[in-house]
Amino acid sequence: MSEGLDLLRLHDLHLLEDELADPGTAPRLRRLGLAIEPRAAVTRERERALLGVDRRWRYLYERARGRYGRGVCPVKERSCQGCHIRLPTSVTNPSGALTLCESCGRILYWG
Amino acid sequence: MTISIGASVHDLSLCIPDLSPRKRDTVLEELAARAHLAGAVRDPALLHHTLCLRERLGATAVGKGVAVPNARSIAVIDPRLVIARSPRGIDWKAADGIAVQLVVLVLSPADHTIEAHHEFIGRAIAFVRLQKQRQKLLEARDAPAMAALLREFDA
Repeated sequence: MSEGLDLLRLHDLHLLEDELADPGTAPRLRRLGLAIEPRAAVTRERERALLGVDRRWRYLYERARGRYGRGVCPVKERSCQGCHIRLPTSVTNPSGALTLCESCGRILYWG
Repeated sequence: MTISIGASVHDLSLCIPDLSPRKRDTVLEELAARAHLAGAVRDPALLHHTLCLRERLGATAVGKGVAVPNARSIAVIDPRLVIARSPRGIDWKAADGIAVQLVVLVLSPADHTIEAHHEFIGRAIAFVRLQKQRQKLLEARDAPAMAALLREFDA
């Protein structure tokens, strides 16, 4: 499951990087009294998380991220929350193994 | 998208009147665990990791004894606030050096936009901006009294 956890961390790190890269973020947070520093720490963490992910899953993650903006998607009531397709009963998550949505190609998060 | 903060207090376990940890990272761990127990978070360990990283980018203490840690994460199921009080105070590396007695954890799901997340943080900060309101929160008898203040603000 450690690989899955690294992938989820990678997902959250990308969310944080996107937030930091947004031109509106710094002025908005300053107005709220919240300081935020440049992205170096996030980039370092992202590189570390990447090392824990197998090449194949990294490729699938990046492909889905390039296509939809996010590479991982939660499952709710057996539906992929990215494309809202009901997953076939053959798609399961035994012992936390990584699985892919066969419809949209996002990596599924069963948490 | 305007997020009502009142929805966050239907579960009183999300109002914590007496935080016992005194270290910032341990406090974040406890708040993530509470949110998980309340069904708002899938994976508290992942959320804790994201919250700690956010703190490393800049402390989320906004001064006057208040901290607003926040995360937009795949670990979060629904937008929620967790409000906690530490009578003894927590060293949060605030710019004004004042120990934090009020913590408002802001949680947004990954599919919320950056703007919506910042708006939610803004609402949370507005709730504790006034000295009178902070005093009421610090003096509230218990979790239901804290939740009532939040509902009143949201009305």
